[in-house]
Amino acid sequence: MNYTVRDLGGVREVELRGQLTFEANDDFRQIIEGMEKDGIAECVLNLGGLDFIDSAGLGLLVLANNAGHRASVQLKMKHPRGQVRDMIEISEFHTIIPCEF
Amino acid sequence: MTGASSEGGAAAPAAALAVGGQRVLIGHPRPPAVAVLRSALASVGVRAVDVALDADGLLARVGQGAPDLLVLHLGLLADNLDLIARLRAMNGMRDAPILVLGRFSGAGERQALMRAGATDLIPRPVTRPELAARLRVHLENRSLNRSLQEVIRSLQAYHTGAVQRMTLARDMQLDLLPTTEACGGLERRYAIRLDSHFESSSELGGDIWGARALDDHRFAVFLCDFTGHGVAAALNTFRLHALLTKIDLPGDDPAETLGAINGLLVGLLPESQFATMLYAVVDVRVGAVTYATAGAPKPIVGRPDGALEIGGSLGLPLGVSPKASYRNRHLDFPPGSFLFLFSDALFEARDWDGQLFGYEGVVDLVNGLDSDAELEGGPLRQLLERYFTTMPRPLADDLTALWISRRAEPLDGSG
Repeated sequence: MNYTVRDLGGVREVELRGQLTFEANDDFRQIIEGMEKDGIAECVLNLGGLDFIDSAGLGLLVLANNAGHRASVQLKMKHPRGQVRDMIEISEFHTIIPCEF
Repeated sequence: MTGASSEGGAAAPAAALAVGGQRVLIGHPRPPAVAVLRSALASVGVRAVDVALDADGLLARVGQGAPDLLVLHLGLLADNLDLIARLRAMNGMRDAPILVLGRFSGAGERQALMRAGATDLIPRPVTRPELAARLRVHLENRSLNRSLQEVIRSLQAYHTGAVQRMTLARDMQLDLLPTTEACGGLERRYAIRLDSHFESSSELGGDIWGARALDDHRFAVFLCDFTGHGVAAALNTFRLHALLTKIDLPGDDPAETLGAINGLLVGLLPESQFATMLYAVVDVRVGAVTYATAGAPKPIVGRPDGALEIGGSLGLPLGVSPKASYRNRHLDFPPGSFLFLFSDALFEARDWDGQLFGYEGVVDLVNGLDSDAELEGGPLRQLLERYFTTMPRPLADDLTALWISRRAEPLDGSG
């Protein structure tokens, strides 16, 4: 997985690319750490560039969401496509992390 | 002499520590000449030195116990070149360093000695510090080899123990699944065929499935997949199994059942761990499957006319949120139908080129089954045989697959 971070006002957009699986663990934890420390109000995960997610990847989304709650950062997702969109719908992750389809 | 001695001692305190307790055997025909060797050995910290004056004495000494290093004077090998081979054949001597000391007549003789099994040759004349240095290298080497062998032995012992423990744990995990007898009981009672496949990506897996009778016309079946695989995921399957057997679940209502299990797992599972699960109640009188899913793969139902229906699947995985609620869905399941349930490993696996197998691939596989697969060891077996012709083993994730088919209605209802 690759990612780019862009801050605009208090909103951070993290664009994820590639595959969100267990291998992305270290990178994703850095994203979470930044979210907790950098005093932002909202963090949007742009999933448009992501072409695969598995249950370990969903687990990372849960971690991010819980960290967001603790740090008062609103986590959101947007633009999942293909298999990623299917996974988010099947597991109803948009009910715990708001998602713009 | 004193100066040389202290010089040797000061140069190698660490080596002396490593080689100090080692035992050296010298085979030398002239006792007075042994003094130089003794002194060289003493300078590297070796005190235990035995001396044999001839081949028989040497063999006798080695027979009492292999030394850590053997220094052999060339004189003992005159007309007796096979002495080295005989020494090598003795207990503990296969890897022991054998050094030959002497005035070698030429390359031919040196080659013959090495071929005969000598570890190294020390040509004379040689100064005492040089001799000490050569001896120390071989003693240290011996000591390191010994330690390495000990480490390897201890690792092997650990590995053997770990494998035994894993095998035991794996047997315990397999014991969580319905027995062949239990499946046979369900098959007879509900006129079904129930085939299952359970394959962990390592010794232990994070999948579990179960099936049980509810009443005369209904039975329940479930397939659950905890995130990850290996020991941690396997421990969660034991948790679930214990919950399912100890707690009175509303087993005939899939949505309520998932809700109840979710309530138990939330707070029990670590933050990033959860389970996907499908719980189904098969009613053979009504001819329907009622099921609910928690993030589980969509089930596939095949009908007697060959049509496939892919059941919907919506629901938060278990253990993520206490607020999760689940819905029941219904699929027609007349005689002659089949229900195919599987964990995500089946379609998330990648072939040799890294291409995802994909859910569509599973549908194609089901569509392509021979119509007489029922006779040839069952459709699940045929499906997996075809699957594994292109998919490499072991899979990256645990695979569980269940195939439940209802027998076609007999043509003559009166029997």
